Formats: sequence, C-alpha cells, structure tokens
Amino acid sequence: MRELRLGRKIIGTLIKNSAYNPQRIILDFFALVARCGILLFLYKCVYNWKGSNINNTSYQVIAWSIFLYFIVSIMRPRDITDAIAQDVKTGSIEMILNKPIHYLSYRFYTTIGTGLYSFFILAPLGFLAMALTLGIPSTMTTHAFVLTCTIVGFLCIALSLIVHALLGVLAFWMEDITPVYWIVDKFVMVLGGSYLPVAFFPPVMYQMAIWSPFGAMQFITHTVYDSWAAKAWNMIGIQLFWTLLFGLTLLIVFRKAKERISVNGG
Amino acid sequence: MTNSITVKNLTKRFEFSVKDPKAGWLKNLFAPTKNQVTAVDNISFSVACGERVAFIGPNGAGKSTTIKMLTGILFPTSGEMSVLGLDPSTDRKKLAYKIGTVFGQRSQLLPNLPLTDSLEFFGVMYDMSDALIKERIAELVEIFDLKEFVNQPVRKLSLGQRMRGELAASLMHRPEIVFLDEPTIGLDVVAKKALRDLLLRINKTQGTTIFLTSHDVGDIETLCERTIVVNHGQIIKDLPTNELTKTFVNEKYIDLMAKETFESFPNLPTGLRYAEQGKDKLTIAVDLKKLNVQAALKQLLDLFEVEDINVYNTELEAVIRHIYEKAKI
Repeated sequence: MRELRLGRKIIGTLIKNSAYNPQRIILDFFALVARCGILLFLYKCVYNWKGSNINNTSYQVIAWSIFLYFIVSIMRPRDITDAIAQDVKTGSIEMILNKPIHYLSYRFYTTIGTGLYSFFILAPLGFLAMALTLGIPSTMTTHAFVLTCTIVGFLCIALSLIVHALLGVLAFWMEDITPVYWIVDKFVMVLGGSYLPVAFFPPVMYQMAIWSPFGAMQFITHTVYDSWAAKAWNMIGIQLFWTLLFGLTLLIVFRKAKERISVNGG
Repeated sequence: MTNSITVKNLTKRFEFSVKDPKAGWLKNLFAPTKNQVTAVDNISFSVACGERVAFIGPNGAGKSTTIKMLTGILFPTSGEMSVLGLDPSTDRKKLAYKIGTVFGQRSQLLPNLPLTDSLEFFGVMYDMSDALIKERIAELVEIFDLKEFVNQPVRKLSLGQRMRGELAASLMHRPEIVFLDEPTIGLDVVAKKALRDLLLRINKTQGTTIFLTSHDVGDIETLCERTIVVNHGQIIKDLPTNELTKTFVNEKYIDLMAKETFESFPNLPTGLRYAEQGKDKLTIAVDLKKLNVQAALKQLLDLFEVEDINVYNTELEAVIRHIYEKAKI
C-alpha cells in the first residue's frame, strides 16, 4: 500500500514536473512525427509501387503496427539505462540509497513518471490522427485486441524497463556501457518491428522476434495482425516469462552491484 | 546518556582493477591486476544522543566513507556499527526513517518544482499521513523562514536558500540524527551563519544528534562540541573542540602595535619568529615549548617600542592545517 502511494506520488509529481516544462513534449511530438511519419510515408510509397497487399498485409495494418511501436517508445523506458549509469558514475545514487525506498523502484517510477505526460497527450492525438487518416483496421476491433492490448503494452514497458535497468546496473562493472546499450537497442529496434514491420520478417527472423526478449519488448507491434487472436496468450506468456526472468536477474545483479558502490568524499 | 552511534573496529577497503600496460588486453579484461585501498582502518568511537560531533580530516582521510557506512550506503569490509540500535548495512530501510542526510555537493530536491513539492514528496516517502505532511511543512517553513521562496522552483533559488531547503527536506520526518557532509560548501558568510544557527536550534530544541564533516572551520567551531580527527582512515584524535588548539599547537601569537613605526626587524631570540612584519604592526609567533609568554613579552619589549600588545591563541583553521600537514609527513 505504502509502495503504491509512493509510486503514485512520484509519478504524479513528475507529470506535474513535465507540465511545467513543455519542451519535452514538443521534442517528443517532433520526434514522433519525424521518425514515424517518414516511415509511414516510405511504406506508402512502397505500397503504391507494389500494390495494396504485400505478404498478405495491407498498408493500414503495417502503418498501425509501426505507429504502436513509436507510441510505446514515447514512454522512453530506455532512458532508465542512462539514469542509472549516471547515478553510478556521479555517485548520486547515494541520495536514494539512504532513503526508505528501493533504488530500482525509485528509478522505475521516475522513468514512468517522466514519460507518462508525453504519452497521455501524444498517444490519443496520434491515435486520432491515424484513425482519421487511415481508419482503424478491423483487427483492432476484435475481442482479442481489446482484451490483450493493454496487457501487452504494460508488459512491453515492464520488460523494457527491466532489461534497460539491467544495462544501467552494468555501469557498476563497466566504465562505458554505451556499446552494450547500443547493441541491445538495435536488436530491439530490428526485432521489435520498428523500421521493418514483423509481417515482412523472413521465417528465421520472425522466430527470433517471437522467442527473444528483444522482440518481446515490442510485442505490441504484433497486436494489429490477423494472426494475433490465435497467438495472443502464447505471446503474453513469453513476455511474462522474460519479465520474470530478467526481473529476478536484475534483483540478483543489483544486490551484487550495491557491494561495489564507491563514493567520492571531500 | 545513551549512544546514538557506536562503531567498533570498522574497516572499509575498496578494491579496483588497474590496467597493466605490459599485459595483453585479454588479461586486462578477464584477470586484471587488483589494487586495494583502505579508506577506513579499524576505527572505533561512539556518539551520545543529542551530541554535536565534527568528523574532520584532509581529503581522502575516510570521512565520507565513514558517513556513508553509517547511513547504510556503503557496506563495511569488517567491524561493527550501530546507529540508533540498528545495523546500517542490514537495516538500511528501517534506519532511513530515523536519520536525515545533507550532502552539500548533491541535491535531493526536485529542481523544476517548487520546494513544497519536494517536501511533500519526502513526506510520502517517509510514510507520513497527508495531514501530518501539511502540518510539518508549515512548521518547517516557519522554522527555516522559507515562506518567501517555498513556492518557487528549486532551480531558481540561491544556493543559500537551496541549502535551507535541503536541510528542511532532510528534517521532514523528524530524524533523530542528521548526517551532514560539507553542508556549507559554497555558501556565503551570511548563509553559512543562518544554516549553522538552524542546526544549533534543532539540536537544542529537538535533541537531534548532529554528525558533521566539513573543511570549514566555522562549522566545527560554532556547531560542534566534540571533534574527531581522522587521517589515512584512522582516528588521530577525539577530543572536545575547544581543546584542539591546546593539544595540537604549542604556539601563541603576540601582536605588537608600534608606538610610532617599526623601522628595523632584528633577529629574534630562540623560540620567537616573525609571523607578520609591518611598519605599524608586528605579529610574533611564540614556540611555547621553548619559551613562555612572560619571557617572550619581556624579550620583545626590550627589542621594540610598543603602544599596545595583544596575546592570542592560534586560530582553529591554523590548528587544523597544522594537523593535516603533520599527518602528511
């Protein structure tokens, strides 16, 4: 109960903080328009050239799949890596470690709180813009989508936070975690279906997207396809498995990491 | 009087890898040479409830490491410690409810939001009810005179205002001990005095134990009744602050004010040396191991025509400098 109240307070405070600083939402808006908009435009050109169906998938479905990837990215769960690495490098971690809160919970809440404001504003706006320009695919009105979309979205963010927190914790051992972060980030980007929608993946790559944690971090992109209804609960199971496995790993690694804390004094 | 802090044979060693330029990259990556630094070396001390203690020493002496072990941030390599009856390394969360921390070089406040938001935030973190949070904020605003800036974003506050805010935030949950690591760093004289007055006030009115590290002599002189001096991770001295001068420096200073002007500066007898030479004023240092004040005065009056004399002890700052320099050798 206490943890929930604290989480609510941190998230609420950070949403207020974001409201005081509109620069972030402006930046997120332009990033969304630039990255997602350009991709949608490119795929539109490809569809105009190749026909209305590629690999049995319409442009409308592809566009929504890409859009869902970017809308989850607005929450910026990846930012937790840098936040933790900075806390470790600068020693600021000590400011949280002497408070009655678990450091990782605090970082989870702050990352969610920082991204939520942009998400609450841009997600409905983006949804509306997409619905008005492209319409809503029939797959998004099925029971399977309506029932599972929130669960999958929640697990995408939870798993991303956990995996990226784990990368951040590596800063206790590594001087520079950027190369590791970069590799993971690119795997998520490719296997998550951001630039190349999962519908176009060759079979091996598709299997990798399904079974690897990198793909599982972006299962939200699968929810708009026809095949989703049949696979939904299996994929949620895979997401749950990775979330629990990495969650446990994170706790163990963080426990070890705490013993390595060193601080600069005066 | 019961102890709020008890430390027995506390040691902290840091281990770090060192790149060996002669070894290959594989060895450096997987089996690097390890070096060890003993930051805190088998120290023992205790602090009574309500006491105001300065924990001082030169850079790298082990002050911050000790504070960070006492607050549960660092784990000791060996030894025992008890803070308010709890072991900081195993009861960190429980202990956090009972202690407050101010680290002068870091901020715990939310930079973009008004100070009230940070105070509310800490209230929730310390599990206080909404009514209690409101009441405590009003109390802290009154005590710390925060009214004029409590609604301003923290990033727009002056350093002095921010430090008052930091202290208020650390006292939100009425801690029994406050650990302060260089709390007045960067503050001007007015802000320093205000902060010290506030600390004295909470110590007097609420019996809060104060455990402070600082390089600022004023903090030690005005705030702390007891001083623990550390160097190379060991306690060199643990004594009442007002005895520091007597213990460490066997020197007194004599100011001589010229009747007209001092024209020549003759060689001084053994035990005396010029600390400052001016035409209107001379400052002479007296080595008390070689000469007492009376003999010194007698010899100086034979040498100089003076209108006024002032005899005084070494300033605490010089004492501390002396301790640090001696420790380096």
